[in-house]
Amino acid sequence: MLVSLEAKLINRKYLDSVKELVKPHTPQYCYQCAKCTSACTASKVIPEYKPHLIVALTRMGLIKQLLDSGIIWACTECWKCGEYCPQNVAPVEVIIALKNLAVASGYRPPEDLIAMARNVIELGRISPPIEVLSKEFEIYSRESLNLPPLVRPYAHESMRKTLKDLLGGL
Amino acid sequence: MVKVLLYLGCTIPTKQYAYEISARNVLPRLGVELVEFPEAGCCGFPLKGINKNAWIYMSARILSLASMRNLPILALCNGCDTSLRKIKTLLNEDESLRKYMAKLLANEGIELHTDVEVYHVVDLLHDVVGVNKIKELVKKPLTGIKIASYPGCHLLRPSDIPRPEDSVDPRKFDNLLSALGASVGYYPDKGGCCGATMLPYSAKYALRVVAGKIKNIKEFNFDAVSTSCPYCMEMLDAKQDAARSEVGDESISIPVFYLTQLIGLAIGLSPKELGLSLNLSPVEGVLEKLGVSLSG
Ligand code: SF4
Ligand code: SF4
Repeated sequence: MLVSLEAKLINRKYLDSVKELVKPHTPQYCYQCAKCTSACTASKVIPEYKPHLIVALTRMGLIKQLLDSGIIWACTECWKCGEYCPQNVAPVEVIIALKNLAVASGYRPPEDLIAMARNVIELGRISPPIEVLSKEFEIYSRESLNLPPLVRPYAHESMRKTLKDLLGGL
Repeated sequence: MVKVLLYLGCTIPTKQYAYEISARNVLPRLGVELVEFPEAGCCGFPLKGINKNAWIYMSARILSLASMRNLPILALCNGCDTSLRKIKTLLNEDESLRKYMAKLLANEGIELHTDVEVYHVVDLLHDVVGVNKIKELVKKPLTGIKIASYPGCHLLRPSDIPRPEDSVDPRKFDNLLSALGASVGYYPDKGGCCGATMLPYSAKYALRVVAGKIKNIKEFNFDAVSTSCPYCMEMLDAKQDAARSEVGDESISIPVFYLTQLIGLAIGLSPKELGLSLNLSPVEGVLEKLGVSLSG
């Protein structure tokens, strides 16, 4: 029963993509000690977030279910799991690979991340310079603070094209 | 005198102006000559979740542009520092990746080079300028103020590449604060995360990370926190009020300073030269202790 259930759910194509993307780390080496989860920043505030389970689902090939849940976007990329993993699985690398796979497969990343990426393409930075408020509600800008104006990055036009190609249809 | 390219990244020159102001005013006084590097854009760090190659490409670009200038890079931001050191390592180890990136860059007239030294403020000040030199310049020691150093994740990890600090037992930040006359000490969450990267997923949970961190620091009786990362500053300083409301705990309140601001205060610079009116956390008490007023 379980065997047939698994066979139906396993997505080979996704599994092969993740294996390729996380090299030289190998999710298959995970022995489920959960050291990663005990160190994990996201686990501390989101109890259902557990990197050892993300790795377990990944190596079983139950990746579609994982991507559908959207939980991978909670990872803060703090790299603690990577430090503590005795098997050099580095769940953070697995999760970055899963995020890349999700985007390549048409899942939408969080909107703020898309906005940042669009700004990097168009301006070379994640945001244009903004006006900030002090505690006394005074408004400050680069200009009023006498900071030099920002310029576009070197060869911005060609950078824009390359980035657009790499980031796909965001 | 050491000469470096001032690499600002994204968050500092678009939002965290106090870091840029204080770095520009403090570092030259410590013998660091800052050379403008305006043609360098984003290091690609925020793009790695969308496409890792976009991250690699953006950092490969910065490394190559710096190599054209023949100067080391000074990254003020932890994310930038991690990106540049990580991508430098990846490109030096992976021949096919290097070829791929070289081709992308050649299309825009950039020759791929990775033979560039990368510094962060913390290791530049500790290892190159030196604690003793800083000590000599102190005019107004931060005596009697207990400051929690908060290096931030990407000053420490991943540790399979060269890092500004020891990933398990970071000491340099504390050494620098001690040189200013401040008291330092241990707290369990020193190597912890500020939660910034979780913001696009959930502000609520990210704020809980902030609240937990400040609570831990307060439990160990610190008067203030110091960081050298614009993301950590944004979370601990600017989002402190929101974190307090999120968890409904009035005790979540602590002054937060950039390392460069504290050095500036200790060597006698004015609050204006350090952008201190831009700090949103309650810094006034500490300034008062030092006999400095924000309006003065
Ligand atoms: S990188 Fe992500 S999964 Fe790993 S410990 Fe940090 S939050 Fe958890
Ligand atoms: S720490 Fe490593 S081996 Fe242990 S459960 Fe996590 S990924 Fe698996």
